[in-house]
Amino acid sequence: MYMEPVIEVKGLTKKYGNTVAVDHVSYTINGGEVFGLLGPNGCGKTTTILMLMGLISPNEGTAVVNGSDIKEDPMGARRQVGLLCDNVGLYENLTARQNLRFFAELSDLKPREAEERITKLLTLVGLKEKQDVKVSAMSRGMRQRLGIAQSLIRDPRILVFDEPTLGIDPEGTRELRGLIKLLAREQGRTIVFTSHLLAEVNRLCDRVAIMKDGKVIAIGSIPDLRKQINAAEGDEFEDVFLRYQGVV
Amino acid sequence: MAGIFTVAKKELLDIFSERKFLLIFGTLLIVVLVSTFQGALSYSNSQSSTGTITIGGQGSNNTAPRQVFIGGAESLSNALSSMVTNFSLVGGVLALAISYDTVNGERISGSLKTLLSYPIYRDKVIYGKYLGGLAAVTAVTSVTFLAGMGIFIGFSGLTPSADTVTRLTIFFLVSLVYMAIFLAVGLLLSIAMPQPSTSLLASMIVWLASIRLIPNLGYAIAQVISPVRMAFRDGGPSFTTGAGFDTVRSIITALSPSSAYEQIVNSMLTTNRMQFSSGQVSVVSVGLNQALASNATLLIYLAGLMVAVFAAAYVLFMRQEIR
Repeated sequence: MYMEPVIEVKGLTKKYGNTVAVDHVSYTINGGEVFGLLGPNGCGKTTTILMLMGLISPNEGTAVVNGSDIKEDPMGARRQVGLLCDNVGLYENLTARQNLRFFAELSDLKPREAEERITKLLTLVGLKEKQDVKVSAMSRGMRQRLGIAQSLIRDPRILVFDEPTLGIDPEGTRELRGLIKLLAREQGRTIVFTSHLLAEVNRLCDRVAIMKDGKVIAIGSIPDLRKQINAAEGDEFEDVFLRYQGVV
Repeated sequence: MAGIFTVAKKELLDIFSERKFLLIFGTLLIVVLVSTFQGALSYSNSQSSTGTITIGGQGSNNTAPRQVFIGGAESLSNALSSMVTNFSLVGGVLALAISYDTVNGERISGSLKTLLSYPIYRDKVIYGKYLGGLAAVTAVTSVTFLAGMGIFIGFSGLTPSADTVTRLTIFFLVSLVYMAIFLAVGLLLSIAMPQPSTSLLASMIVWLASIRLIPNLGYAIAQVISPVRMAFRDGGPSFTTGAGFDTVRSIITALSPSSAYEQIVNSMLTTNRMQFSSGQVSVVSVGLNQALASNATLLIYLAGLMVAVFAAAYVLFMRQEIR
């Protein structure tokens, strides 16, 4: 299933004054992989994602996204990736379809092609019946699903989801999990996501990177990570994660 | 260009669908139409009456006061001065209200991150946003002007000559530049300030500075440099100003976009003025070229200010990190 590396992060560093938000982070993500970026708030997960998207510039290091260097060809890198940001980032005053239509126009899709794709995506995320509802009237779970549809409008092979399960009830989380599985397992897309819901990470991710204070302190598949710290068979992934963080 | 127009179209539709826009646009339309109606009646009366002014008399070289006929001497600038003032007040507020949260509003909602995650150059986003705002103020100014001029021509009995139409067109264009300046100020503040509430407050301070603070400062500084002196002569008070007073005051006052705008427009609409010479008063016409030449510096200043403020907003936006 896994192919060549599609994202190569090489010594990525971001400083704000004296604070080092991301400290020489390096890892590789393979095609078709579901890769989890874990860590407590403020550990540098979102900053890493924003650097990958070219929204903030790294002080040191770089990353290559499907052959495009984020420093030399940020536009090329962006073309490869669909982003769902932590607060969804949709236009509240527009309906679901209007939001997707705007992003389709930005992606230079022809009107007919755009309408067809929008209908397909709204069906995929289960929002076809709500296509004329304004985002301001949608629940958090519906917004997240619409956000995923937005990230898919250009049909990118790489998807980056920042906290997709934030503030969603268990039912919504389950729906999202199903959606992510579908996108990764059936459609073969590479998915990078951050989450605090470790049970979800455990269920979904092929590999994870655990971050602490801007650094990647561990990386690998979940069985590998358990092995590295000699976790007991009955230990939850949450216990494993907290041990890496030095909390227990 | 596709990205610019996509962003501009969305910006324009957003502006038109906002209640704050409709509220301020309604206010602008009402105050401008009421003041234009009053101006039209005043213009109509001045054309039909035999107005006189008194010249000479006490304190002058003439021995006896005389009545001089000035019927029909009312200039467009007098008739429309109230409209110009109201437009400068409410038009500035409208332009700021449109733009004060253009960028920081999107930054807070997170949509700016989504927007910039698309393969669209940042400069297209800022151009698109400004273009959308410009389209909105052009629509507002056009509607206000068409309605205002309709009322003015209908009630004043003015038959517009080619000269009048040219003057009104310049009035319209200068008004657009004026609105574009405040639009750029709002945009700049929305980029520089993290919260819309802060940029709204800063916008209001800029507006107050333009309509009140800078003109008052101009007067105060001119007073310090070249004080106005009062003396009692021939039984009444007499004020004398130093040579530099008017120059200093007019230079500082003209730094305010509102004052510069009013000065330009009033000058453009002044079709004739009274001239006093050797105890004689006469009405002389003011040519359009003459008006343009005398306001060239201010016109360049307003256009330059618009470009400079937008350039500052552009540079700041291009360098800003979106977190």
